[in-house]
Amino acid sequence: MREAPPPVDYKSLVRDDRIHASLYTDPRIFSDELERIFHRGWVFVGHDSEIPRGGDFVTRHIGVEPIVLVRGKDGEVAVLVNRCRHRGTMVCAAERGSARTFTCPYHGWSYDLDGTLLGVPYPGGYDGFDKSSHGLARASRVSSYRGFIFASLAGSGPSLAEHLGPATRLIDRSCDLSPQGEIELSAGWVKHRCAANWKMLPENDSDGYHLGFVHRAMFMTIRSQYQRVVGDERSIQAVVRDWGHGHIEIDWSPGYQGPFEWFGGAAGPAVAEFVAALERRDGVETARRRIVEGPAHALIFPNLFLGETNIAIVQPLRVDACVHWHTPMFLKGVPEFNGRLLRMAEAGMGPASFLMPEDLTVAARNQLGLGARTVEWLLLARGLNRETVDAEGHTVSHVTDETTNRGFWRHYRTVMTDA
Amino acid sequence: MREDVIAFLYAEARLADEARYAEWLALWTDDAVYWVPATTDPEADPQRHLSHIYDNRARLETRVKLLQTGARYSQEPASRMRRLISNVEVQESGHGEVVAGSNFILAEQSVQAAHELHWWAGRTTHRLRRVGGEWRMSGKTVVLVNAAEPLPNLTFLI
Repeated sequence: MREAPPPVDYKSLVRDDRIHASLYTDPRIFSDELERIFHRGWVFVGHDSEIPRGGDFVTRHIGVEPIVLVRGKDGEVAVLVNRCRHRGTMVCAAERGSARTFTCPYHGWSYDLDGTLLGVPYPGGYDGFDKSSHGLARASRVSSYRGFIFASLAGSGPSLAEHLGPATRLIDRSCDLSPQGEIELSAGWVKHRCAANWKMLPENDSDGYHLGFVHRAMFMTIRSQYQRVVGDERSIQAVVRDWGHGHIEIDWSPGYQGPFEWFGGAAGPAVAEFVAALERRDGVETARRRIVEGPAHALIFPNLFLGETNIAIVQPLRVDACVHWHTPMFLKGVPEFNGRLLRMAEAGMGPASFLMPEDLTVAARNQLGLGARTVEWLLLARGLNRETVDAEGHTVSHVTDETTNRGFWRHYRTVMTDA
Repeated sequence: MREDVIAFLYAEARLADEARYAEWLALWTDDAVYWVPATTDPEADPQRHLSHIYDNRARLETRVKLLQTGARYSQEPASRMRRLISNVEVQESGHGEVVAGSNFILAEQSVQAAHELHWWAGRTTHRLRRVGGEWRMSGKTVVLVNAAEPLPNLTFLI
């Protein structure tokens, strides 16, 4: 009999200035991550606006666990594990819809929207069967912040508020752009397959160093709001910021001089009305700050990416495969912007877009390169020589620095080594 | 006319297969609409629902320019491709335009990262009219059978 291998020593694999290649390639580590990051921690599962009415549901994953995010008749949101308690069948196959109950196709077991087992056909085959203990498994904790719904499969642990910490302000930054203070995800999702470990995506989404290289074709072809982060290193004003708990940000706003540069400019009567609505709510000064700064570009650990005018989800599949989902972030109360937000979403993200295909090509090439055994480490030291701490205690550095990656990995190490 | 239309579809397919970007772009009219929905739902509305591609002429030109930079790494080098076109149905739609529906299967050998063979399939609707005696596309809609599934890069000409 062979002894079980010793547990992975994450402290030795995740150092302050480098990380070990096996973190992207070892199936055992992937399995640990599902358990410790995706099952114990808080994971983004969907947005209120996707399931507005009682009975509305979407099917998603927590890690690789199939789940149904559903709004009950009473308006309460539940996260059900999409697996019949009888023989394990995936109960709900639709991506979205509206249901009164969920019925398993295999032997007709039916469940209420809160997972309660309602009916078992031909009950004579059981003596004293306890239906109340055979409902669909549920995420122990479901909580939301400004419409963003998160779930945890673990009964205990930090609350969502503790997990998000001050990073709620990143979500605020995006939501507060709406005169109604709400975003709406109603355009549907595009899913982009990536032949790389899932961590490549949050790391790349918050990497400000690669833009001028990976996206060189775009910079050669069209002017965009990202133009001011290429060129002379000292003239770049955008920064990266570590918000703690693995939440990390690229803040373009120090480089923006006027309103709507993040939007490629905006003018006209609809824009004037939009700005006026923000001013009525927030006052002239705050409203101006919002339209100059624009929405957040930030990763909420581990799987939610506030991608400026997009919302994105990172879905792990296997140690070397994941999916990047995205949808445009519509601002409630500004329907005139939705058309442009749609076209921006198609330009920026997705398999046919002008940006993400290059990112995912490079991610796939990273995965191939990391198959090399001769060299074991990836460097994580960029910017350690010039980081500063801002007034609120967050580490900040030049936009091309790996402060964000280090913030991600520091939290990763904590989560993977906590008892 | 049917034979003309089929000849056009074959020629367009060959230019796309062979990454002959400028020649392919020249097949489009100025009022071009190039649409690849992200769903197979016939109710899909590109003004309300996210698409993979919804290009007007300007964005179509950007798409082609990106490919011509030599730095569009998701298509650098270009995938090796061949597509088969079948089940062609041609209808005149008035105003001198023709609408042609066709099915396709496309073998794409990707060579930019891991070398993988991707199979693509769907139904295309071309809107065609004659400009200066030549057929030109004013519309092309490609509904992939797996439009709503996670897709690998789709930066070649579909």
